[in-house]
Formats: sequence, C-alpha cells, structure tokens
Amino acid sequence: MANSTSTSILSFPPQTFAALSPSAFLHAHLNPTSSQSSSTRPNRRSPTEFRVPNINTSSLSHANGSAVVRLGNTAVVCGVRGEILKAEDIPKTYNDLAKSPDETDEEKELNYTTIQELGLLVPNIELSTGCAPQHIPGNAPSAATQSLTHRLRSLLYTSRLIQSSDLRIWSRPANSDIDPGREEEEDEGQDRAPRIKAYWTLYIDVLFIALDGGAFEAAWGATIAALRDTKLPGAWWDADREMVLCSDQLEESKQLSIRGLPVSATLGIFVAEKGRSAKAAPNKRLMRGLGDSGATHHKQEHGAEAWLLADMDAFEEELCQEQITVVLDYSTGKTKILKIEKNGGTFVNIEEMRHMLRLAEGRWIEWKNHLEASKR
Amino acid sequence: MTDRRRTNPPNGGTAPPIFLSSLSTADSLQSKRPSRTRRPDEIRKIFLKTGLNPSATGSAYLELPLPTPPPLPSSTFLPASSSLKLTCSIHGPHPLPRSQPYSPHLQLSTHIKFAPFASRVRRGYVRDAQERDLAAHLDTALRGVVIGERWPKSGVDVCVTVLEGEEDAWWGGSNVLQGDNSGVRGEGADGGGNWGAMTVLAGCVTVASAAMVDAGIDCVDLVSGGVAAVVEDSTAWNEGNGKGMVLDPSPPEHERVVAAAMVAYLQSRDEITELWVKGDAGIDIEDLINGAVHAASGSRTVLAEELREAGERKFGEVAKSGSEKVLGTRPGVSNDVDMTG
Repeated sequence: MANSTSTSILSFPPQTFAALSPSAFLHAHLNPTSSQSSSTRPNRRSPTEFRVPNINTSSLSHANGSAVVRLGNTAVVCGVRGEILKAEDIPKTYNDLAKSPDETDEEKELNYTTIQELGLLVPNIELSTGCAPQHIPGNAPSAATQSLTHRLRSLLYTSRLIQSSDLRIWSRPANSDIDPGREEEEDEGQDRAPRIKAYWTLYIDVLFIALDGGAFEAAWGATIAALRDTKLPGAWWDADREMVLCSDQLEESKQLSIRGLPVSATLGIFVAEKGRSAKAAPNKRLMRGLGDSGATHHKQEHGAEAWLLADMDAFEEELCQEQITVVLDYSTGKTKILKIEKNGGTFVNIEEMRHMLRLAEGRWIEWKNHLEASKR
Repeated sequence: MTDRRRTNPPNGGTAPPIFLSSLSTADSLQSKRPSRTRRPDEIRKIFLKTGLNPSATGSAYLELPLPTPPPLPSSTFLPASSSLKLTCSIHGPHPLPRSQPYSPHLQLSTHIKFAPFASRVRRGYVRDAQERDLAAHLDTALRGVVIGERWPKSGVDVCVTVLEGEEDAWWGGSNVLQGDNSGVRGEGADGGGNWGAMTVLAGCVTVASAAMVDAGIDCVDLVSGGVAAVVEDSTAWNEGNGKGMVLDPSPPEHERVVAAAMVAYLQSRDEITELWVKGDAGIDIEDLINGAVHAASGSRTVLAEELREAGERKFGEVAKSGSEKVLGTRPGVSNDVDMTG
C-alpha cells in the first residue's frame, strides 16, 4: 500500500475523497481549517443558500398547461391535461351542492369538496425515466415515487389550490354572451335551470428528466407553474348530440384560477460524525448556518456539531439525518403554513424551527419572482 | 382497472375533450392543414444538446422545432402539428448482477417511454407494445456501433423519454381526437399507419448516439437516424404528379404516406445498422432507402457539430490548442492501436 511509506504525500482528488468518506468530506467543507474562509458546501453554495429555480412554461403542444423547472441539476417537466368526466358516468349518484354556474365566493368555498370527493385531480410523478442511476425504467413505481405522488396529491387538495367551480361544465353556457346562437339551439321543453353535465378532470403528470436532490420542491414548483399556465377550453353541453363539446378558440378558454401561491422549501440537518466532532473546537456554536439569530443554542446532549443546509443536492440528502419540508403561502402578506414535515433526529428546537420558517419565507419570495417572470 | 401504485382517474372514466371544429367534415378544415414549406430534400432543423443530466454517465436532448411555425400568438387549442422532443440518459457501464449469466460483451438494454402528454391522445404509464417495439429497433441500431468486447460482464441502460412525439397523420383527417386511432382516411395497405413512429425512432437513434459519446462508451462511428417517405399530395409542392419522395417527412403535412423507410447509418463506414421500411414502395425502394441515408447524413452533421462543441466545453483549452495534435498524442488512442494490433 502507498500509505505505508509516506502518509503525508497521500492525497486524493476531491471526487475520490467524496466517494470514500462522504461525511468527512462534507464536514471538511463546512468547517474549513483556515478561519477566514467561510463554510461552503461542496456544490459551492453557502449553507443556507437555495438553488435558483429556472422556469419555462407552455413548451408542450399537447398539454393544456406545462412547465419545465430546473433547480440546479434537477430538471422536471410537468404537463397538465384536461379530460372530461361525464356526470352520468359517475357510478354512485353524486349530489353536487352547487346550484348555478355563477356562485358567490362563499358558495364556492362551501362547495369546494366536490373536487376531492370525485378525485378530479390526478397527479402522478414519474421517476423511472433514467433520471438517476437508481431509477431505471421498466420497473413499477418505487416506494419513493409513490410517496412523492401521495404527498403531491394531498398537498394539492389540502391547499385548495384549484376551485371546483372551475371544473364544472353546465348544461347551459356559463356565460351566455360567449355565443348567443348556441343557447337558442337548446331544448325549450327542458327546464331552464342549469344542470351539471360533466366535470373537467386534470391529469397532472410530472416527469423527472434529471434528479439531483430536492425532488418534492421541484415537483411542486413545476406543478404550480404548470397549473398557473393551464387554460381549459370553453366547454358546453350540446343537447342535440348529447355530448360535451369544446371550442378550440383560445379567446373562449378559461384560465384556471389558482388560489394563493404555496411554495415548498426543503432544509436538512447535517450532523458531523462523532469521531470528527470531538476534534472540533468544543465551544463553537453547535448549530451552524443559522446566522447570528441562532447564537443562543443549548448544548446537544451528544455534543455533536450540526449544520443547517438549505435545498440539499443528492449527495447531501444521503448524509442528512434530518429533513424538514415546509410549505407556506405568503401571498396575503401573512405567512400561512400549509405543511411542515420533519423527520428524524432531535437537533431542532422551536427557536431553530422559527429560523427555518424565516428562510422558507425568503424562499417563497424567490419562487414567486421566478414564477411571475416566467408567465409574462 | 386500477393501479394501486399510481393515482387513478375518477371511477367513471374520462374522455378527451371533443372540439366542435373536429366534428365538421375534413373538407372545411383543409385551410387549417399544415403544408410542407421546405424543399423535398430538405430536413428540419435539429436542436441537440448533450450533458443535461449530470447524474447519468451520458445524456442528450433533441428537439425538432415545428415544421411550419404557427402564427403568434396562436388562437387555437389544436396545434397543427407537434414538435419532436426527446431526452436520453445513459447509465453505466455497470457490473452485471450476479444472477445474470456471464457475458463477454456489453449488455445493452434500451428503454423508450412516451410521456402521458406526448401525443394528442393521452398515453398510459405502463409501456405498451409499440414502445417495446421501438426499443427493440433502437437496440439493433446501437448494437452495431458499440464496441462491446471492451466491457465484458457489464451492462448499460439507454433510457429515452419522448416528451413530445411525432403525429401519425393530420388530426383533421381522422378520428384521432375521439381516441380512435384505427383508421386514417386513405390509409395504406398496412392499415395501422403509425408513420410518426419512424421519425421518433430516427430521433431516438441520433439522441442515443450523442448520449453514448457523452458517456464515453467506445463506438466504431457516430450513428444517426434518417427517414424518407413516398407521399401522395394533390395540391402540394409537386403539382400534377402528386406522388414523390420527401426526406424527413412530417406526416400531418401530407395527404397520404405510401411508404417510408428509416435507417440508422454510419456515415464514415457507409454502413447501415438498422433498416425499417413500411408500406409499398414498389420499385422505388432503393431510392427510398437512399433518401433515408441522405437524411441520416444530414442529421449526422448536426450530431458531429454538437459533439465537437461539447468536447470543447468539456476539455476546454486542450481542444482549442489544435484538435488534430491532441488527438494524435492522446494516450487512449495509442493504447487502442496496441490492443487491436
């Protein structure tokens, strides 16, 4: 072996070091030996620096709304497609409480549940596109894919992003001045009260082209961007043909109204291995990356050092024992927390949690700016 | 039929929207029909880029922009035609699992999957027969170029995702919008049509070849795909005659496709690793194949150009200082000679 003769000469290129001893590699980056250099992650970001989202919309011709979101090396394509569910095809008779196409906001709120009861949103995440070596196509969706899909679906419903009223198709054109000629064709004998004839079902397909950490954040960002881009064609019930017809004219289409702007932010806690943290200066701040606000930290019982890392890449995700996903909406000027998911570890106390929420608020502004810029 | 691993559509089942304009007769729609604006022997522009997926050994993205760019802003929900968009990731070579028998060559496994939003009619999540068939075609096209003996006991995965496919026929001439793919008006003897699959496959070959080079897997040459077709049109570019050969056809632009050929071609060795002919070309078949080879040479120009640029990006200064000199002194090259000699 080479190191038997001279240990001082033994040196590895960074990649080899990272592969052999990933934890020590990350620790060495976060805890540089020279005091003047600040801690920088192997991906050259500072601990609390998020990756800048890059958003493109309306690039797919066969989707009602689409978006490509890039988050560093993670790339996601999301396509939203509307299909029609006929009311008569619903197996059990479903009693929709909505009475007319022109609901007040309060009624919309009351009748929100339709979308969830009928399952009108069909999100699916596809990881087995060869986006990463562990996701080779040809297999059934892995546990990770299923859990991501589930989280996406439950968040879509709980955030009440899409309103049921946008998805109902009535027996008369909702807005009769779109085409007055069409209304005259309707049967005079039938009662004039509008009836729900069908529902739009939104298929939301998220495909990962490349995966380098931050899967949920990227998938959620792409979904939001695609939904904001979605236009549903003007649809009406044709009594003569007994079917729902759509207009292919864009001016008769309806932009999906998206309520609020929930944004997801992912943070991780990296805990240095015990052997290495013993060598580190014992009186240093335990939780790094928190800035000055986090100066008052009580000592962890293990005495280990911990760093807060924002928006981890795949390499860091492997090493972080603790992960926190925060979904919040700041669009009303007040922080509305939709979801906090924290798993593993005991390294986060209330004070640190607050700090993370503040970071997530900063992240919200970043996403919002990029989402609005992509829309034009 | 429910799939417990995915989110399922509502129980009643859904149908794609039916547009009023698609119910009118095809004649009244003729004005919306796209027509070929490029010369018969001119191929579409190709956008190709390598190295999109850093976690893969090699990757590439290929796009064929819309053949006839629509007037902006578009006023309709029905795009006249689609633009091919493909991504390819290559993983490996990696050791074969112990359960597999010994293999003296590199084991290729190719996967092609259409995204659900790739076509006018929504596609399923599980690979269907057509996707498997295309993957088998791609496999033969690549098998002929890879120097498999250099990686015994190893496997490599070639994964192509079709984000947007090529259409088989013009939507106005068929019931495509109603989910019925069976009959395209004036369809050839083979019934299925499916002409778009050839363009998709040609794109897959080119994009996989680029990713192969990006992955650094030794190949005897660059392989590129090309399509040519015999088409029949009453009003288009060659008036009177009606029948003629075009390179790189976009099926919606033609009234009837009589026959089509797709080749995977190695230009510098003048070899064909994959040939796929459909329809009845009659005695013109040789011309048709020559046309496909010509189209493949066209896409090779783009392929070679992008790979040269990618090489410059990757190796930076070294490549700029005189590529010929560097190639001659590269240690890898001299080793190759020793091994084969």
